[in-house]
Amino acid sequence: MNYLKQLILSSTTILVMGCETVAPWDRDVLARPEMQLSTDPMGDALFEQVYLSKEASSGGYKTAGGGCGCN
Amino acid sequence: MKKTDPLLALTTAALSLPVFAGTPPTEKEISLRASSYEEDDISKTSVLSGSPERYKIDKTHFRLLTPLGSDWSTEINTSQEVMSGASPWGTFSGSDEQPSLIMSGATIRDKRTEVAVSITNYQDDASYGVTLGTSREDDYKSRSISLSAGWDLNNMSTLGIGFSFSDDDIEPTDAEKFGRIQQAKKQTRSFSVSWTQIINANSLLFSGLTYTNKEGFLSDPYKLRDTRPDKKTEWAASLKYRIFIDSKNAALHLNYRLYNDGFGINSHTVNAEWHQNISSRWKISPRIRYYSQSQADFYLDADDFSLPKTVNQSSDHRLSGYGAITVGIQMNYDLSGWKIKIGFDRYISDNRYGHDSSRHSHPALLDFNLTSLGIEYKF
Repeated sequence: MNYLKQLILSSTTILVMGCETVAPWDRDVLARPEMQLSTDPMGDALFEQVYLSKEASSGGYKTAGGGCGCN
Repeated sequence: MKKTDPLLALTTAALSLPVFAGTPPTEKEISLRASSYEEDDISKTSVLSGSPERYKIDKTHFRLLTPLGSDWSTEINTSQEVMSGASPWGTFSGSDEQPSLIMSGATIRDKRTEVAVSITNYQDDASYGVTLGTSREDDYKSRSISLSAGWDLNNMSTLGIGFSFSDDDIEPTDAEKFGRIQQAKKQTRSFSVSWTQIINANSLLFSGLTYTNKEGFLSDPYKLRDTRPDKKTEWAASLKYRIFIDSKNAALHLNYRLYNDGFGINSHTVNAEWHQNISSRWKISPRIRYYSQSQADFYLDADDFSLPKTVNQSSDHRLSGYGAITVGIQMNYDLSGWKIKIGFDRYISDNRYGHDSSRHSHPALLDFNLTSLGIEYKF
């Protein structure tokens, strides 16, 4: 859990210290498809399921979905 | 032919930012994706009995996203997988202490069908969503519900929260023949919180934290000896950073996840993607991922049949300490609302790649190829 605390503290510090106000009309770059958090939802779902069933770890980005008996 | 007002297009684009929770989709989106997952065979020298031929899975995934009026949208996802191949049943230690495998026959065949339906409501500065899902296999059934909400705060950031619950039934095939558990249940509850922040006009950062609690039958019913605790908690924290580099006309994606669970496993996942615009129609995206996990507290290199069945133990390679690298590439082609996506990824794993690896490399550690072809249409 120490790792987690350090991670949360570091990211909060970056957010508080380093942000600039960006007006809505200056957000054309942020609106580009390649700048989205998920550029390919179906691809992300595919990888998420593969890694979920073939590795021990999951989560971090959103809540868990339904389970599978993937072996 | 309808012409698009450039100012309207720009405004719409600016409002479709990931940090705006209250922005509904304006177009219908229909997508189809076919993928092929193929594991490398296990070295025959590591197999005591059974087939060295491992899993192959062909998946077809259909997705439909539709606005409903001005404040609602719905999304339907259905997929079907056809699986075949062999999986490890047990691990034994040879005279040289190197583990060897008992594999199933190569005749395992199964089919999985998954359906999920979501509905989302959008307010001026918020969104609220519900997803109902079901997944069915011959030996596994799962029903799930997810709730999510997002709020735009100070026009520069979005707070998201989520909750999900799934109720699973396990009914292993050939249970009587092989003395497996005949019926079992598993329940999963998961909570998430996230914060997405615009850093400047070219970059943003997502931070997420999830807590998951699993209860019920968490062992692998197909292994000869596999006894795991019936409760497990999982914590995962993640960061996603996006930056657009004007001089290269490309975006860099960096993701990191830290994971820790009640089985004693901790892991690090780092991945990077480079989204290069080649022209207005072509985009190429190379990607690399590194993963490393420690072993579970009760992991054994080889099954120990002298221990009572009530004592926790597992020789599942997925609970061993190891590392893995994935290298891949995706090509995108856009034309008048149509998109074609072709991807290929290669995954290799070994205990030498890990930060806290098990003593012996498990012979069932995976190498696989994942190939996908997708087509999407917006209208």
